[in-house]
Amino acid sequence: MEANSANVELQSKTVTKTPSGFSVVWREIVRDKLALLSLIFLVGISAFVYGTAIVLDQEEIVKVDLFAIYEAPGEEYILGTDYGGRDIFGQLIIGTRNSLSIAILVTVMTGFIGVVFGLVAGFFGGHIDNIMMRVLDFFNVLPFMMIVIVFVAIVPKYSVWTFSLIMTAFLWMGIARLIRSRALQEKELDYIHAAKTLGTSNIKIIFKHVLPNISSLVIVTMTLNLAANIGLESGLSFLGFGFPESTPSLGTLLSYATNPQTLEYRWWIWVPASVMILLLMLAVNNVGTALRRATDARQRRG
Amino acid sequence: MAEKLLEIKNLKTSFRIKDDYFAAVDDVSLTVNKNEVLAIVGESGCGKSALAFSIMGLHTRAKMEGNISFKGENIVGISPSKLNKLRGKNMGMIFQDPLTALNPLMEIGDQIGEALLLHNKELSKTQRKEKVIKLLNKVGIPRPEYVYEQFPHELSGGMRQRVVIATAIANEPELLIADEPTTALDVTIQSQILDLIKDLKEDMDSGIVLITHDLGVVAEMADRVAVMYAGQIVEIADVTTLFEEPLHPYTRSLFNSVPNAKEAQDRLHVIQGIVPSLQNLPRIGCRFAPRMPWIDGEAHEEHPEMHEVKPGHYVRCSCYKHFHFPEESKEEEHHGVS
Ligand SMILES: Nc1ncnc2c1ncn2[C@@H]1O[C@H](COP(=O)(O)OP(=O)(O)O)[C@@H](O)[C@H]1O
Ligand code: SF4
Ligand SMILES: [Mg+2]
Repeated sequence: MEANSANVELQSKTVTKTPSGFSVVWREIVRDKLALLSLIFLVGISAFVYGTAIVLDQEEIVKVDLFAIYEAPGEEYILGTDYGGRDIFGQLIIGTRNSLSIAILVTVMTGFIGVVFGLVAGFFGGHIDNIMMRVLDFFNVLPFMMIVIVFVAIVPKYSVWTFSLIMTAFLWMGIARLIRSRALQEKELDYIHAAKTLGTSNIKIIFKHVLPNISSLVIVTMTLNLAANIGLESGLSFLGFGFPESTPSLGTLLSYATNPQTLEYRWWIWVPASVMILLLMLAVNNVGTALRRATDARQRRG
Repeated sequence: MAEKLLEIKNLKTSFRIKDDYFAAVDDVSLTVNKNEVLAIVGESGCGKSALAFSIMGLHTRAKMEGNISFKGENIVGISPSKLNKLRGKNMGMIFQDPLTALNPLMEIGDQIGEALLLHNKELSKTQRKEKVIKLLNKVGIPRPEYVYEQFPHELSGGMRQRVVIATAIANEPELLIADEPTTALDVTIQSQILDLIKDLKEDMDSGIVLITHDLGVVAEMADRVAVMYAGQIVEIADVTTLFEEPLHPYTRSLFNSVPNAKEAQDRLHVIQGIVPSLQNLPRIGCRFAPRMPWIDGEAHEEHPEMHEVKPGHYVRCSCYKHFHFPEESKEEEHHGVS
């Protein structure tokens, strides 16, 4: 009896587990030094901006100080001040936090809507799919920029939340389309048929079977979307449709560069914000590509 | 008198291809009784899986006409929730390829447990686990406690097919459909799986629809046999009758294409070609006519009907009478792959 159980022990140990999803991802990131560095950078920056934002007094930072206009970086202001005498370094921190928050909110919300929409359309197919795809096409042909600009103009005081919601309304279609086409393929696989023959309801099949099996696609797409969404707020602010000055953001800092004087002589106002946007986008993108490689065995490095 | 479990009448399942419907299952009528194995044989592409999917209600985009009654109640076109009460509880299905029939991201225990969870709600978590372990034992999986927590990719093909079977029989269904359950497996594993299915039939008194293209499997397992060609059943009879007096030219040709009947082929008409694809089937007249060029045009029937030649022995078309084989060569043993 004892020998028997020992034998079982031994056998179970010799069965090698093929690496699970998470360890594959981890291995891929560690192997790709750039992705690892990017990840460390992202975690560090996020911890820093969300951490200091708690102790920083936003009111204090956005308060106009006429005696400290356009100060160059120095002892009192590490990164100098803007035309209202406001601390650039503080604005950079709060701006990074706001831009990151928007990017994350928009990514999560578009991801949620896109995934549910795509799964339902793809899985049920037929008339349901037809109708849903027409709805999607409708959103696609709406003049996105124009509507956002009008909205920004008529809503007097909008926040990170309202901004993210408007953006979400126009940015969920890409991921919905992608998920739909994967769901269309996935639902023809035998394990889905097998689940049906057990009497599993469609909703359960969608969320218990299809979703987990396309989760790597969801994660990779959302990461790459996150990179794109970081530049979202900056682009609009640069065009002059950004946040009010009471809400510092990377885009506002960047838009100071539209003033030729600032562009040429007061680099400290816009360079740090530009570098921050660039670094954030690159870093998220690097992590995203490593994730994509990890989920695609053909591209994997090891 | 055998108890009728499944009765299919004039079933027609059509797929829409470019604004037109094509029947993959055409005018199929058959019955399956309790404690009986009905084998369905036919070349690949003749609509065997389409028939199985029709019975299980798995076609989502197909047009289904006719009648399928399970224990006296029609199940064509009933609501998904009604169907889901039957599926997994009263009827189960085993798929051809065990590599794809299991959710790659779900532990074996959870996959088998799902059927119990859905239809056996009063079971507690531990009772369910006990039952799953029992099922794993029943289908001959060693170290069930260990396999319980494994993922499909950690098991061999044969083991996976056992898991698929365990899932299908978790609630002891009265009707079990096995769609080429051994085609994807090694020969040695094949016979083990077939033995397992045979045992289950005796244990549970179930009716089994066994789909295969292997006449050896038919000879070993079946009580009755239906021969399918291009979506239609061309002959149906009990297994001894069919092997001893095959009537339809297609049935005969199936036997003749068994390798050990090689020299017989030299003397007989050989049926050439393959099953035409759905779009290329003749839309009027007999679907088989294009493959029998040596029969006179007039001898063909326009819409061959099923004729009962002897009790329980049905043949489509009466022209088997005109169809004469040079001489009745004694049929040799029939096994091997068609
Ligand atoms: N969902 C579908 N849409 C269109 N045609 C199909 C579909 N499923 C099966 N068919 C066609 O129906 C015919 C029968 O297929 P199938 O039942 O898989 O054959 P078998 O299982 O006997 O090999 C084939 O010609 C196949 O191309
Ligand atoms: S009509 Fe009869 S003889 Fe002619 S091809 Fe069909 S089955 Fe054969
Ligand atoms: Mg098939």
